[in-house]
Amino acid sequence: MTTDNPPTSPGSVDDWFESRLHWRALMDALLHVRVPLEAKTFFFGGMTLFLFGVQVVTGTLLALYYKPTPEAAYDSVLFITSDVSFGWLIRSVHHWSANLMILFLVFHLLRVFFQAAYKYPRELTWVVGIGLLGLTMMFGFTGYLLPWDQRAYWATVVGTEIAGGIPFIGDALLVLLRGGADVTEATLSRFFGIHVLVLPLALGAVVAIHLVFVHQQGLANPTKPDPRPPAVPQGRTKPFFPHYILEEVIAWLFLLAMLVVLSSLFPAGLEEEANPLETPAHVKPEWYFLGVYELLKHIPWKVVGILTPMVFIVLLAVLPFIDRNPEVRPRKRPLAIALGILTIAVLIGLTIWGYYS
Amino acid sequence: MSLETKRRLRHLRLACLAVPAILALLMLAGSASAQDPSPEPSLIPGPPAPSPIAHPPGGDVDQCFECHVSLDDKQQAISETWQESIHGAGGIGCADCHGGDPGSDQITVAMSEANGFIGIPSRQSTVDVCGSCHSDTERMRSYGLPTDQYDDYWTSVHGQRLLEANDTRVAICIDCHGSHAVKKASDPTADVYPLNVPAMCSRCHSDPTLMEPYGIPTDQYDTYAQSVHGEAMITNQDVRAPSCTSCHGSHSAKPPRSSEVVNVCGKCHTATEELYLESRHSELETAAPKCWTCHGTHDVQQPSEALFFHEEPPDYECTTCHQPPDMTLVLDVEQFDDEADRRCDTCHHPESLIYSQVEAISGALGGATGAQAQAQGKIDEAKSLGMIVHDAEVALTESKTGYIQGQAAVHTTKLTDVTVHTDEATAKAAEAEAMAQAKLDESLFRRTAMIIVIAVILINVVVLYVIMRRMSHPWEEEAEEPPTA
Amino acid sequence: MSQQPTADPGTSGFSRRRLLAALAGFSIISTLTMIVAPILGFLIPPKTSGAAAGGKVLVGTVADIPPGQGKVVPVGSSPTIIVNTDQGLNAFSAICPHLGCIVTWDPGSNVILCPCHDGRFNPTTGAVLSGPPPSGLPAEEVTVEDDQIFVVSS
Repeated sequence: MTTDNPPTSPGSVDDWFESRLHWRALMDALLHVRVPLEAKTFFFGGMTLFLFGVQVVTGTLLALYYKPTPEAAYDSVLFITSDVSFGWLIRSVHHWSANLMILFLVFHLLRVFFQAAYKYPRELTWVVGIGLLGLTMMFGFTGYLLPWDQRAYWATVVGTEIAGGIPFIGDALLVLLRGGADVTEATLSRFFGIHVLVLPLALGAVVAIHLVFVHQQGLANPTKPDPRPPAVPQGRTKPFFPHYILEEVIAWLFLLAMLVVLSSLFPAGLEEEANPLETPAHVKPEWYFLGVYELLKHIPWKVVGILTPMVFIVLLAVLPFIDRNPEVRPRKRPLAIALGILTIAVLIGLTIWGYYS
Repeated sequence: MSLETKRRLRHLRLACLAVPAILALLMLAGSASAQDPSPEPSLIPGPPAPSPIAHPPGGDVDQCFECHVSLDDKQQAISETWQESIHGAGGIGCADCHGGDPGSDQITVAMSEANGFIGIPSRQSTVDVCGSCHSDTERMRSYGLPTDQYDDYWTSVHGQRLLEANDTRVAICIDCHGSHAVKKASDPTADVYPLNVPAMCSRCHSDPTLMEPYGIPTDQYDTYAQSVHGEAMITNQDVRAPSCTSCHGSHSAKPPRSSEVVNVCGKCHTATEELYLESRHSELETAAPKCWTCHGTHDVQQPSEALFFHEEPPDYECTTCHQPPDMTLVLDVEQFDDEADRRCDTCHHPESLIYSQVEAISGALGGATGAQAQAQGKIDEAKSLGMIVHDAEVALTESKTGYIQGQAAVHTTKLTDVTVHTDEATAKAAEAEAMAQAKLDESLFRRTAMIIVIAVILINVVVLYVIMRRMSHPWEEEAEEPPTA
Repeated sequence: MSQQPTADPGTSGFSRRRLLAALAGFSIISTLTMIVAPILGFLIPPKTSGAAAGGKVLVGTVADIPPGQGKVVPVGSSPTIIVNTDQGLNAFSAICPHLGCIVTWDPGSNVILCPCHDGRFNPTTGAVLSGPPPSGLPAEEVTVEDDQIFVVSS
């Protein structure tokens, strides 16, 4: 175990692979890139990737016991949580990792926004990243129904109703999402299929594209714009491997500790089994949809309420093409920073309002 | 200290009273006990059912209505109220109660005595007017209505008073059903709809000026409204809850007698009645407590274990339960008017054998309650830690089933009947507690494991940090000064 | 943070490498142990049968519940009453909607009886026949395969 230390001791294993796969060239291309010393990523993107990995592992494990039918779903989740050894841990880690994944994805997005890392040459990376945000939220939305308890059921009823309010295609979309007029067995089958098959493959592919882009472009330097045409980065750099990776791993360890603490102290619960005939007193979607939910409640014209977040997402996606100012330092782009802070304040405000209303 | 002396004194007094009492008992042994001090006076028989008011048949158009609806506001209101009533809908017209000729539009003809016009029937005769049709089985058959109301009415306190004293202030048909506005009892807007009955009765019975001549209290509605029954009916709008008429009867309204109360309550509380009938209390008939002795009448409250004993031992008067001179057992329900005195130890004083039996029954229930509270505490604690405690909750539900059965079994007054259920309840509660405790232990294990895992992760972080510092940092050498040495 | 060995500047390059390797080895092994142990534990099938995990639950054989009889059985986390009447097998939630007592079968009167307040339920529909329960017992799906009775928990 102590002998395999690849970066410093090229041994026979290294030769063996090299003679068959031209391994060193591949590794050089993948790992031996340089990172500008000024780049401050806070490891948010890497942490999100780590959490996705955690989700794949825990999700696969949960799927071993979970039964996606209305008769069995609730009891199988109960079984996992109370009878399977470490079932509570795997389920709680899956639950918390899902929440943290969205949280760190948002942090990552904010970091990129405030450092203006979405500007030339990284416009496409940003657009793909917004796609990842959408896919992750779909993950959360579909996964939320699976325990089939009251909270899951009614949050899905409310959530799909929001989708049903989209003009022109709303009704069709609602039926498509629910697999019928109501949230039923068909909805559960659909959500399960999307959650464990469609989304992991889609997210995996899009993450790969995102990473290839990042790899090709290198990390952005938040102190000066990238040169046009592209050139080898100037200024001081450090190696991506092992130095940057090591720091990243330390961040992952902190994340792991966070997951363990959250899962142990606040394990994922389970409410009463879903009952389509009895609406509980306070039906609310998950926290990351609360802002939109609250917005919908207070905008008298339903169409406007639903179009607002959609237009917002589209604007966010095409941000690199709207904001053509090459400047990257926050002080030199006051309008963008002000709008950004305003948006965050509004979203946090709406979410808190939604939480307490 | 002083309490103890008080108790001793009281016992002394009890003993003093007991000696002559026993003597008197011995002397009068075998003599018939005077159980019922006021025998029920016999009922004044009601009159036979009269025949309906005769009047000429009307035509297609009811001329009474045609004319009166356009007379003045008052007449119009009466006409329209009638039109919307069950009588108006069923073709029972003005002349059926008021007489006269509904076919004539001439006031002198239609409202002439020759045509049987009687105007407004007097209160005495109103019962007859209604009863003339409503006691006629042939007429009522097509409506599926009972025909016993007329006869029943004369047996009621209201009807008896009317017969006896010609007292027209008593309730007659129209006071409850309305005169022109008669509605079906199933119509939620009718005064006689079950949910509206308490308010309807209280229109008179809560009025001190109306009740003053009869010396009847007027607080029944308020007491009832605060009782479990009143809460179910008035607050929760539960039509199955008992209203005034459920216990007193409607047409035959009269307070239930001591000998009837078990049947009256048992109408709904079937299981409890069955258990009570097994008890020594039930065998004693008039001298023993009935439902109302412990639970009250209009003010029935949620029963609890507090019903066993006074908080402080009461002052025992022999005459509470024994009647001089022969000291036979009697029970005067007025002794139990005050809710605080509806306790087992009102009669069963601490010197008696039965007192220890009451203590044992109370203890059995209390033990089960205690075990359940303990289990509930553990369940809540485990729940607040995010643990899933479904199994413990099911066990606690089973325990509560046993407890409720035990509570009901108190009515048998037999200790073994109670403990059969309370022992099960206690055992199940202990089971639930053990399950919840297992979850608490599990939670503790998780926290301990968490601390160990966090420690390992922190060591790992330190290790990686050390590795990081130990690796060469070529780019930093260009900086002002190297970090180590 | 800085420990004794790290503060020592005079170590040779060789022992420094060995120390780093040992530390890295510890790090990898301990982290893997932390992650793999719960996963292995999760993969080991639990003692309780998977049948308890919802879907069809075996509650007994036909011989356990002869015609005219009823029995309360646990299905998952909820007690369920199985009754065998002339109309065949029926299953209902055994929790009385009045105060949450657990109902029993009353062979004398052929009804489901709540022992607490004498609530009676129709054994074929679960509807209230008499007594204080505000609503009937919710029905559960029951199937018989060979002579085994299964309840499909819902």
